[in-house]
Amino acid sequence: MFAPATLTLRSYAGLQSPAEKVFQLPSRSRSRSRSINGSHSRQPSLEFKRLSVKTAVAAVDSNQLSSSQKEQSNKYYFLVANAKFMLDEEEHFKELLFERLRLYGERDKEQDFWLVIEPKFLDNFPNITKRLKRPAVALVSTNANILSYLCFNVGLAGLAWLGRFMKLRLDRVLSESYESDNLEQALASNPTNIEFEKPQNWVAPYPKYEFGWWESFLPPGSAEPKV
Amino acid sequence: MAAEMALLKPISKFSSTSHGFGSPRPYSKFYVINMSSATSQNSPKPKKAAKTGIKESLLTPRFYTTDFDEMETLFNTEINKNLNQSEFEALRQEFKTDYNQTHFVRSKEFKEAADKMQGPLRQIFVEFLERSCTAEFSGFLLYKELGRRLKIMKIYSLMLQKTNPVVAEIFSLMSRDEARHAGFLNKGLSDFNLALDLGFLTKARKYTFFKPKFIFYATYLSEKIGYWRYITIYRHLKANPEFQVYPIFKYFENWCQDENRHGDFFSALMKAQPQFLNDWKAKLWSRFFCLSVYVTMYLNDCQRTDFYEGIGLNTKEFDMHVIIETNRTTARIFPAVLDVENPEFKRKLDRMVEINQKLIAVGENQDISLVKNLKRIPIIAALASELLAAYLMPPIESGSVDFAEFEPQLVY
Repeated sequence: MFAPATLTLRSYAGLQSPAEKVFQLPSRSRSRSRSINGSHSRQPSLEFKRLSVKTAVAAVDSNQLSSSQKEQSNKYYFLVANAKFMLDEEEHFKELLFERLRLYGERDKEQDFWLVIEPKFLDNFPNITKRLKRPAVALVSTNANILSYLCFNVGLAGLAWLGRFMKLRLDRVLSESYESDNLEQALASNPTNIEFEKPQNWVAPYPKYEFGWWESFLPPGSAEPKV
Repeated sequence: MAAEMALLKPISKFSSTSHGFGSPRPYSKFYVINMSSATSQNSPKPKKAAKTGIKESLLTPRFYTTDFDEMETLFNTEINKNLNQSEFEALRQEFKTDYNQTHFVRSKEFKEAADKMQGPLRQIFVEFLERSCTAEFSGFLLYKELGRRLKIMKIYSLMLQKTNPVVAEIFSLMSRDEARHAGFLNKGLSDFNLALDLGFLTKARKYTFFKPKFIFYATYLSEKIGYWRYITIYRHLKANPEFQVYPIFKYFENWCQDENRHGDFFSALMKAQPQFLNDWKAKLWSRFFCLSVYVTMYLNDCQRTDFYEGIGLNTKEFDMHVIIETNRTTARIFPAVLDVENPEFKRKLDRMVEINQKLIAVGENQDISLVKNLKRIPIIAALASELLAAYLMPPIESGSVDFAEFEPQLVY
């Protein structure tokens, strides 16, 4: 979850964030808690910082957008595996994401999870990249409600609820978290072409999910042209 | 919860088998699957079922009960201080989200479709609805009771915090889903001017007793295989809408996500009890439960090819797809699974279908029961030997990467 004020007070070329949309529609009722990094020290360089375990998380209810909160660093949780696994083989993963998207639509919730293909932030995790087949795909999420909910064990868990659940489901993924105060940068990716070989003998009595289903989940503004 | 556990007639002897000999001999159990009455231990309603007139056979969906005291001990956070609560918290959130709160809303399509269905197809659909409803309802009863029992202990012993309120709540949330599914199916039956008396079923059905660890294996597989069945039917019908003869299938996509999540919960339960996953006994049991579930489904479905053909599926291909996918999923948690992708496995299943048909033919014969039983002996022996052979096929070592010793070298 982002502080919408943060988003709208900065200019991002081409970034149509869901939060921005909400800001343009002030009639929408919003009452959600927001995570504030208790010990945050903002770094103007906008570099990613590795999350230290002692990070305190506080939940604050906020019904109004306050510009005083613009200097806020968000925690991003991700799990990552190779693209073939995430986008091609694990078809139930696609179902889970669309189910969540449907629910968010039904309940007027902003999207707070994305798929990032070849994310730039991976460079900060050499321990992950050395074990990762490329191209890689990360599911990235930030969710204040859940953070506050999990604050009692955030140090232990190091993984938000969504990620924890997805990890349980997918099993063969790695997970970590980082901080960033810039959505666009947090979700930046290296341009990559993704191609999957057609399965040699597809025996299921139905067709595979269409190539490119994941485009609905790419960060705003980063939808790549179809290959 | 899907219906695929029926072949198992779990006997309380199971426990002694597992602890005593360690080597489960599942094949021999299939003899016992005659219609002898299952005494239910610790069942919620331990009244002995009188002659109720409920037609139960080898493969009908069963009701389960378990050792609730042992369950309480297993998830007692005082005793098990290292239970991975964060995984359960994550699951509780996921269940509380209640994705399908507004999903199960009927349309008038249902009645119209039911009215259109006549003859044998109508019969088949009624049976399908009945079996599905019973299976979902059996899940409801089990989860409801588990949720209740794990919570009650907490109220009685507030100071001790004896049990696990998170696990209890998840069980209750899962029983919510199952009740919803069962109710939806029962409403489907009303379109055929029928209704299952679920209150009566609760009292009259036999309950099958499973030790907690077997509940974990069995319900995990039931939920996951249920997911794969539903999603396969859904996706097949989406691609071939001309077979969309009954609107209930349109609900399967969201519906089966519930099943899948239920399976994830049992996965988390087993991870919290690694003793059920990490030794050679666990491997033998894993293979046994896989085999029981797959064979039950295959034999069941092969008796109902009309249903699957009625919706444009080839029964055996459908089943093999479901078995292979369920097995792949299961390999993420069970320490060993069957090599179902080996063509020999399907050949064995097909032979079991033939043997099962002979068995059914004997039952439908006019002979007196003594003669029938004598005729059954060689057939059951043949079935048992096929089962044993399938069980003994070289298995595939598997398991969650959270446990694997090779994990640090694994490339993702």
